[in-house]
Amino acid sequence: MKNKVNIFRKPTWLLLGLVTASFMLSCVGDELFRDDLPDANSKVDTVLPSSDFTYAPDPNDFRTVKFTNNSTESTIFLWDFGGGDTSTLKDPTYTFEGGEGTYQVTLTASDANGASDSKTIDVVVEDLFVPITPVVLNGDFEDSSNNWKINFSNGWSNNGFESSSDGSWLLYDGTDNGSKTRGAKWNMRRSAAEWTTSDTRHAYQAIVVSPNWEYTLEFEYAIKDDIATDPIGGRRFVAEILDGHFTDGVDAYNQSQAGGALVTHVGTEVKGKTTFTTVKVDFTSNASGLISIWLWAVTPVDLYADNVKVYPKL
Amino acid sequence: MKHIKFLVLAVTGCFILSCDTDEFLNPLPDTAVAVDAFFQTDADVLAGVIGIYDALQGVNENTETNIGRVNRGVQFEHLLTEHRTDNTRNATLEGSKSDFHRYVVNANNVESEDYWASMYEVIFRANNILNFIDIANEGNRAKYTAEAKFLRAYAYFKLVRLYGDVPLVTSVVGPADDKAPLFTRVPKAQIYTQIIADFQEAINVLDNTYKSRASKAAAQALLAKVYLTQASPNYSGAQQLCETIINGGGFSLMSNYYDVFYSELNNEIIFAIQYESGNAQESQSFSSEFTSAVRAGREDGQNIVNTNLIADFDQIGGARTAVSYTTVGSSNEVAKFFPDGFDVNATPSYGPNARNAGNDYIAIRFADVLLMHVEAVLAGGAATVDPAALNSFRRIRDRAFPATAPNAITSITKEDLLLERRVELAFENQRWFDLLRFGVADAVLSAHAVEMGYVFNTRSLLLPIPSREINLSGGLLTQNPGY
Repeated sequence: MKNKVNIFRKPTWLLLGLVTASFMLSCVGDELFRDDLPDANSKVDTVLPSSDFTYAPDPNDFRTVKFTNNSTESTIFLWDFGGGDTSTLKDPTYTFEGGEGTYQVTLTASDANGASDSKTIDVVVEDLFVPITPVVLNGDFEDSSNNWKINFSNGWSNNGFESSSDGSWLLYDGTDNGSKTRGAKWNMRRSAAEWTTSDTRHAYQAIVVSPNWEYTLEFEYAIKDDIATDPIGGRRFVAEILDGHFTDGVDAYNQSQAGGALVTHVGTEVKGKTTFTTVKVDFTSNASGLISIWLWAVTPVDLYADNVKVYPKL
Repeated sequence: MKHIKFLVLAVTGCFILSCDTDEFLNPLPDTAVAVDAFFQTDADVLAGVIGIYDALQGVNENTETNIGRVNRGVQFEHLLTEHRTDNTRNATLEGSKSDFHRYVVNANNVESEDYWASMYEVIFRANNILNFIDIANEGNRAKYTAEAKFLRAYAYFKLVRLYGDVPLVTSVVGPADDKAPLFTRVPKAQIYTQIIADFQEAINVLDNTYKSRASKAAAQALLAKVYLTQASPNYSGAQQLCETIINGGGFSLMSNYYDVFYSELNNEIIFAIQYESGNAQESQSFSSEFTSAVRAGREDGQNIVNTNLIADFDQIGGARTAVSYTTVGSSNEVAKFFPDGFDVNATPSYGPNARNAGNDYIAIRFADVLLMHVEAVLAGGAATVDPAALNSFRRIRDRAFPATAPNAITSITKEDLLLERRVELAFENQRWFDLLRFGVADAVLSAHAVEMGYVFNTRSLLLPIPSREINLSGGLLTQNPGY
């Protein structure tokens, strides 16, 4: 054995041999140079993305919809609004130029591992604006002149009119009562304009309507007969919509006299007691939506009014 | 060892006689009050009922600073409510208390976690009383039950509006019981059904003896608010309840707005949580934390008034302005809850007990009912000219503007009402819930965030479910989106 060449006697060879051997024995391939930390003790992600969202229209434009992303376990988002429009924002705002309708919107939520979830919701785009239908209190005058009074700083009566049992045969809902209902009455003593006295009566009621919207004022009136001398301008029932609310009847009166009302209807039909004329007159509300009904008459004979209504133009 | 058999006999005898080994090996400390042993008489049950209020009251932060040991009850409520509105903010950006006003609350927020725990403590204590109700005198059982249920409803009403769907627990869940009910989120509608049933029972059973405890009127007022808040509001029901209180004659507006806050349990208070000045165990810390320039509290100042609220005070504050906020140097601070009524000019500043203040927490007062009456008449509409509603509104205005009373109110829009509530009830933790109820929280707070440079999104309308609860739940409790 003394002739045996011991190549391991030289340290260099020994080292080289070891390194080569370890290269050959250890697994070959690129994983050799990879840090194995990411795999050590790692667990499979079992909590996967879940896609969900809600939406709300912009208060100023119903076609513009604000989306709120309620997805969980996700960081990458793709919104499909239909018609080829998409977004990758988390909470996008999108305007449906087509206006009212139902649009399918899909949100795909993904995580960094590539797992994803989709949810499609039918987004209903609609104009939810509904004009206010104001309630005219005691519009059928069944409750005497309650709700139709306003104080006058000049001492005029605040009693809107004389309550009467000679109103329209129609109930407030338009159905026939079969007999007279109660109503409002004016006569010479209660007249305004040239016959104004401290007993003059004006009926006032403040109402709230939607701003800048078309409305209809509806009422019935009847003038007893054409006996006696007419006032200047003829015997008439005047129904107006005033611009604003008032605390002093004098201010309301002044606006009416100055022609500042939003609409004025002068009723001159003389058909006889309990034979009523129904009037529907359209007007556009003001910017505040605060308006008032203003009723008065100039008449030498009995004059009746009933069933005052205000509603959005049909 | 000849006596060994006697010894054996003696030892065996001892073992036989000392039957209860369990108690022998696990003795009850003499100082402990065990639940089962505690409730022996009617007085004990009453003490238990009063104990529910203690959970609402919470422990003053100055008495016990370690939040892990105690709950604060309602003493942190302004952080979860006022700070998250456009009304107020924290003085600095340090710590979790400053996360609310910037909408960066996370699921580990200790104040939110504490509020959650406080409300569930109220619920637990209420449920616990119901278990021992048979020990009370027969004549008192219905009353105690109704009182416990009132408080349970009170806590759930807060929780459901702040956290959304929450676990509905209506009986005590013991260590051996199934934990699912503790951690299963229940749809809001179901929570509201329970709240309404509990308040109804309180209305049917209770009278108006107390203001610092549950009463018929308090239940009516809170139920009215529930009716206005629920997904499909019951406006006529709310209107009836408000009219019952308004016409009942038991409550009235204090003629001087100042007296509402500094004359405790006055005619205007329907339900308040009481505190006692100077008593470390029974006092509150929120009053002192509202001071910033002098820092009578532990922190740099909370509930610092935003300028856009000051603008509203300038517009319609009237007599309320000076009582509501004060300007110390350059700092706009809450004046409504000066510790015990002492202000910065007292010696020492804010009085001798600033950190142990006795100001009550006002849960609901008559002015709120008057404004809820208007809200019920509005019934979701844009405006009203209803004479009864105008009258309720005018009462609030006339107190604020006595010189021009009776003030002319010709109509009230939804915006008018929201503004009036903001000013009348500022710093009383109402604004957050008002914004939600009026359906304008998203719009108002988005604009506010832009103005202040905060990042707000719709998900911020719900607070996160505390992580601690989710971790304890073993996967049952789910988080709100965005957290």
